[in-house]
Amino acid sequence: MENEEMYQLLIQMKEGDEQAFHTMYDATFQDVYRTVSFLIDHKQDREDVMNEIYMQMWTSLGNYDTNRPFQFWLHGLVIRQVQRFRVKSWRRFRIFERIRAFSHEESYWDEHTALMDATNQVISQSIRKLTDKQRTVIIFRFYHDYTLEEIATLLDIPLGTVKSRYHAGLQALRRNLGNLPLERMVKINDY
Amino acid sequence: MTIEHKIREHLHEEAETMECPPAISKRIEQSYSHYLQRKRSEITMKKRLIGGIVAAAILIPTAAFAAPTVIDMLTRAPMTSEQVKLDEAGKATLEKLYSAFPETRSFEIIEASYLGDPNDSTKKVQLSIVLQEKGGTGKKLTLHTNGITDVIQDLTQENWEPKEKPLITLPDQEIKGKVDQLIDKLYGNIKDYEVAIEQMENPNEKTFILNYTKKGSEGEGYQVFVQGNRISLAPVDFEPSNNKVEGFFSFNGKPDYTADTILNDEKLLALLKMSATELKEELAKGKTVVEIAASKNVSRQQVIDVIGRTMAEGQLQDGKNKVTISDELLKQMIKDGEQKIIPIIEHKTETEWK
Repeated sequence: MENEEMYQLLIQMKEGDEQAFHTMYDATFQDVYRTVSFLIDHKQDREDVMNEIYMQMWTSLGNYDTNRPFQFWLHGLVIRQVQRFRVKSWRRFRIFERIRAFSHEESYWDEHTALMDATNQVISQSIRKLTDKQRTVIIFRFYHDYTLEEIATLLDIPLGTVKSRYHAGLQALRRNLGNLPLERMVKINDY
Repeated sequence: MTIEHKIREHLHEEAETMECPPAISKRIEQSYSHYLQRKRSEITMKKRLIGGIVAAAILIPTAAFAAPTVIDMLTRAPMTSEQVKLDEAGKATLEKLYSAFPETRSFEIIEASYLGDPNDSTKKVQLSIVLQEKGGTGKKLTLHTNGITDVIQDLTQENWEPKEKPLITLPDQEIKGKVDQLIDKLYGNIKDYEVAIEQMENPNEKTFILNYTKKGSEGEGYQVFVQGNRISLAPVDFEPSNNKVEGFFSFNGKPDYTADTILNDEKLLALLKMSATELKEELAKGKTVVEIAASKNVSRQQVIDVIGRTMAEGQLQDGKNKVTISDELLKQMIKDGEQKIIPIIEHKTETEWK
């Protein structure tokens, strides 16, 4: 859907047009849910974050930068809520989080992961083993195909930081998936 | 397969298996209706607060203009209907409209704005007014006037025909008759013009394009689009040019005229160091303008800037009268135009427009 159209929908939605809300929700919820799922492991947490993201939609419409694609704004909301959630949960459940981090492997398996073949399971698992910061960069780079510059803008961090997280993330993934000939991987850089 | 490729492929595959649980959608829907309830009670509270205060009279018109269209937000300033009536160009435009269509006197100005020079408030580059019939049938007129020369540069007339029988369902001759009448009333002397009518290749909606040319002129005339229940009219002043090439792109083997006016840009061709014919030949190979530019060591941004400048200057020009504005505003206008330019310079022949 075009940017202008989406923006109009948002305005209508904010004014109280329920039809606009449904159109808007239907057009976006899959993408938002999938992005959140890649970044947040627990089901209940996803639900909370999703709810926060959509609530942000009608409260922070004023921050919409009309020069950028709608998608970009939306992902900005997503990432801010995911980060807010992480900070919050870190404060509130610090101890619980630490336990969870150690028992990571049981907690992130969802039904669908069980349906994947072995290679895909390894990739999925390796991505989830990355640090949150690396994972965010990897997801936005490879799932949403943003450039590293765009990711820097989205996350509001310097490009250099994005690059180092990106490389560290890729390296960790390579270590885990290390069955590919190394020279090829080094030579061909996809970005 | 590189590892990057593998990850990308995997993420997309995995995403396909993720379905958002209905419980989440339900919860968000509830949050939204809570928000609505709160909002509605806020509105009634505000109403109570304002009560009989005269302020309400001022609040209503400003609220109507509170949401300008996105693309214009950078440079457009809203106006109230009172401001339009006091503005010289606004007054002149309304007078022209009222004498052409006396019934519009009773119409309400539902939106108005101007594109102006931030450094010189007397310079209104373009003044836009939207009028609508009160109550009833939804007749609507959108006007864009050159704020300095008072010439109406663009007029869109909507819903003049009854909904059950919209304009586009009428026979060609009747459509032409309606457009003739519109031009005659607004600009006069329709007899001096010849018209060519053609149907556009638009699979989604039937669209006619009517080209009016003044007899014996080089191309002065009007260009009119008819779609749905809408007539869109703009006077044009084609610059006679020998190197004008048509159909830079093609679709389904037929010439596609969509981007012709944009690509017939002398400055662009100079930048690319090629003639219009050469550019057309290159595009026919399936390259985009950006790719052609790259092969000539010209960056994407340079292409955007050149086309954007021509587009912005075109908007400011009106016959012989040229409006000068600050560099700042010109830059803003070029930036505004980017969204329109990018699809053109990244378009490949024989593909559908994005």
